[in-house]
Amino acid sequence: MKAISKWVVYLLLAILVITQIYPLFWLVLYSLKTNDQILGGSFFSMPTTPQWANYKAAYTSGHYLQYLGNSVLVTCVTLLCVIVFSSMVAYAISRFKWKYGPVVTLIFLMGMMIPMSATLLPLMVIFKNIHILDTRWALILPYIAFSTPISVFILSGFMRGIPAEIEESAFMDGASVYRIFRSIILPVSVPPIMTVIILTFITIWNEYIMAATFISSEKLKTLPFGIYTFVSQYNVNYGAIGAFLILGALPVLLVYFILSERITKGMVAGAVKG
Amino acid sequence: MVKKSTKTAAIALTAATLLLGATACGSKNNDNNTNTGNAGTNAGTNAGTNAGTNAGASDEKVTINFQNIYPDPATPSYKMLHAIVDQYQKDHPNVKIELESMNTDQQKLKLKTQAASNTVPDITIVNPSAQLQPYLKVLAPLNDMIDKNGLKDTFQKGLLDYYSADGNTYALPDGNNIEVVYYNKDLFAQAGITAPPTTFDEFLADVKALRAKNITPIAEGEKDSWTGSFLFMNILLRTNNGPGFLKDVNDGKKTFKDPAFIEAVTAMQDLIQAKAFEEGATSIDYNTGGNIFKTGKAAMMIMGTWETGAVDSSAVGPKVGVFKFPTVNGKGDPDEFMLAPGSAFAVSANSKHLQATKDFLNYFMTEMPKKQFELKNAVGSGQIITGDFKAAGYSQLAQDVLEMFKSQKGGDIAFDNTMKPAIAQAHLSSIQNMFVQKVDPAAVAAEHQSAFDANK
Amino acid sequence: MNVLKVPARTIAVFVLPCLLIYIGLVFVPIIVSVYDSTLNWDGINTAKHIGIDNFKTMFAHDANFWPAVRHTLMYAVFSMLEIPICLFVAALMNRYVKKANTLVSIYFVPVILSTVIIGQLWKTVYNPAEMGGMLNGILNSIGLDSWTRSWLTEPKIAMYCLYVVSLWQYFGYHLLIQFTGVQNIPQEVYEAAKIDGAEGFKSDWYITYPMAVPIFKISIVLAFIGSLQSFDLVWVMTGGGPAHATDTIATLMYTSSFSSNQYGYGSAIATFLVVMCLVVTVIINAVFKKVEAKYS
Repeated sequence: MKAISKWVVYLLLAILVITQIYPLFWLVLYSLKTNDQILGGSFFSMPTTPQWANYKAAYTSGHYLQYLGNSVLVTCVTLLCVIVFSSMVAYAISRFKWKYGPVVTLIFLMGMMIPMSATLLPLMVIFKNIHILDTRWALILPYIAFSTPISVFILSGFMRGIPAEIEESAFMDGASVYRIFRSIILPVSVPPIMTVIILTFITIWNEYIMAATFISSEKLKTLPFGIYTFVSQYNVNYGAIGAFLILGALPVLLVYFILSERITKGMVAGAVKG
Repeated sequence: MVKKSTKTAAIALTAATLLLGATACGSKNNDNNTNTGNAGTNAGTNAGTNAGTNAGASDEKVTINFQNIYPDPATPSYKMLHAIVDQYQKDHPNVKIELESMNTDQQKLKLKTQAASNTVPDITIVNPSAQLQPYLKVLAPLNDMIDKNGLKDTFQKGLLDYYSADGNTYALPDGNNIEVVYYNKDLFAQAGITAPPTTFDEFLADVKALRAKNITPIAEGEKDSWTGSFLFMNILLRTNNGPGFLKDVNDGKKTFKDPAFIEAVTAMQDLIQAKAFEEGATSIDYNTGGNIFKTGKAAMMIMGTWETGAVDSSAVGPKVGVFKFPTVNGKGDPDEFMLAPGSAFAVSANSKHLQATKDFLNYFMTEMPKKQFELKNAVGSGQIITGDFKAAGYSQLAQDVLEMFKSQKGGDIAFDNTMKPAIAQAHLSSIQNMFVQKVDPAAVAAEHQSAFDANK
Repeated sequence: MNVLKVPARTIAVFVLPCLLIYIGLVFVPIIVSVYDSTLNWDGINTAKHIGIDNFKTMFAHDANFWPAVRHTLMYAVFSMLEIPICLFVAALMNRYVKKANTLVSIYFVPVILSTVIIGQLWKTVYNPAEMGGMLNGILNSIGLDSWTRSWLTEPKIAMYCLYVVSLWQYFGYHLLIQFTGVQNIPQEVYEAAKIDGAEGFKSDWYITYPMAVPIFKISIVLAFIGSLQSFDLVWVMTGGGPAHATDTIATLMYTSSFSSNQYGYGSAIATFLVVMCLVVTVIINAVFKKVEAKYS
């Protein structure tokens, strides 16, 4: 009986693996086809002759390396700020006793509900007035602002669950709040921080509407621009887009699979201490 | 100890915040510095090298931001753009042209936010007539510029009217196309059709003959919804016995409940009910739709002549012919076409280097027809081209299309170029709806009329 | 929950840097949007104050508005219904699979991929058979020809087809969150339960599910808010069509603001969206407070 249910579970999980990983495989095939094959071909069809030219086009016409560099820079700065800022706020609203705590919590909670596209026009005016249009800050700042609500939400939820005894004894010993935050709270919060990193990373890595609106200079463009290089008014180069998507997803997959190991380790550590 | 580390952290944070602020300001200052610095230090240094072809060219170092919709290096438009820009920069070392290339949808969205925040780039892209209206305020009139070097006379007669208001011309189009029916001769032969239809009844009969042979009659990318509208407007152009229906509605002389409009909706419905279009057309985007025809899976494509080059170079290229949209119920003149004046280059009213920008655009527009001709991209040019297309190696299809241009006796422009955007959206969705369910033509007319009344 | 009493300056240091960026770039713009919602404005030329006329139009005259609200809420309901399944699978994985984290990583792949590609992929699933659509192809080959249809263009079913894609794409996302929660349950609790005779599914029922409630709530809120803003996938696959049959509040807002040039009206829709989110989030919070109180 037990063995049977075990195999049923394995079968279920295996089917899920296939359905969830198939897109990646499909994308690889896609990126090696000609436009005609892509538009006319069926779901399982193979490329007749692999179109490596798609990758060449993606690499050169899509300015892959340059855009990649920009994306990495913008993403890293954003991630760093999001982690620092939102964990500080999360700590403050989950632990400090202050009058405006609930209000601030509510303000941040509301932020999760605000659709990015509704802020496009007001932001354009603000950025023009503080003269950061067409600079990296025009991406980094809104990315931080839009990522913090959800991060604060996740982190404060976790921090509320951390037992208070350790902090109390440290406080008795005369440790400052900053020290407690840095050497007790942050290390314990590694697992939710990992979650925050992944969620923020995938949102900003693929973000295009803001980037296209606030950035004009070639030298500042990020990866999603590369995809749209191949979309002209009456013509789309699907194969090159596929190739570019592969190249664009590669770093994410890499980072993700490296991090996912750390998440589990971090999670176990968090669980033990928690 | 508590106090001390509080202080340290506070200082560190303040420092961080300041740094953030400073960097933001820094980048701003840098921008300013480069601009003023260039103007100051470089003045006069280029005097010797300046070719000085344009009267207004000075030696001041200028940067012109050129927003455009030609991002893909594989397309002829991209090659044309870069060739002309490179040449101009070579001739005018003091001028730097910053190209910002993006896809059409994104450019439309971006220009809207730029117009709202007064940050329109020196050169941008706008669309004709009704779509141009909202932007007039932020654009510079080009009257003086088109008079220079005889640029105005290179354009086809009347074309610039679509880009003019109150006696001022605001933009210069990159093309001018007409709507035609491309058809696959082999597939027509398979269905036993000997000659292209000249009346709508023949057209419907051909559609049914093709369906009987299991051939998709017409490829349509109706997800983008302007495609179906473009075809529908062609029918309306016939049932109205000539152009100007929408203009009459705008002027209050007619309503959408006019028999001509209802007749057009009925004809369109007949087409859809005869299964003239591929299954699931409303989920198929423009490019995929075109590809159904270009891979020989559909017999016809009713589209603007900008497709000629792409059809030529596709797998079915040699088998494709072209015919004029037939008369409907005996009405209309096949030599009247749906006209598609193209996207157009406009100059920002706030341009820092207005004169230099105009000078450059004058050169650009003068060179464009020549370059387009060389790149075999000149079918549907908005400017008069005197070269011999046949000798230059243009295909038979291209030459047939060019003949139609010559016989052209006017026509209508697209719905969204004639009506306000809100009415256009209601129209597009109403036509798209006909593809997925049978409707009462009177209801479609009422839908149009109420959208029109609400947004007059 | 312990509460530290700290000087106001310390609080300022912790909260202000983030709060300032956030208020300046998210809160202020949305306040501006609320203001814009009282304008008749194309976004470019002079605006005209029209009071609450935009809201009147929205609630009473726009035939596309309420269907869009319905689609959006259904989207949210389906997304939230998925989460118990994710929790169930997470519990199974925790019990049966040794290196479960690798599996979770694999399930997460669709989340990482850009929506552009997800949309393209699923279109090849839903396409008509003559265009190589997989689903119709399968139905044909098993003799269910009468079931084949044009999935994305029949107004009555197109929306459901979109829900399916979304559920598939975000399965890994919620599984990851639930798995984090399940993993965080201390092993000792299970061992204690084992002594009391609770094992396997029984221990899931009495330990895993109740203890996962806080994380479950996170998923519910995320799913809800995520689906209310559902835009990308709909935009790529159907563009809200045919004839608004798959419009969500977010796509309707986008077309109103930027295609119809009715920026003021678009802002009114945005305002509605934010208020609706707020109300439902408060409801969810209240419900969970009760549930949590029951279990702790």
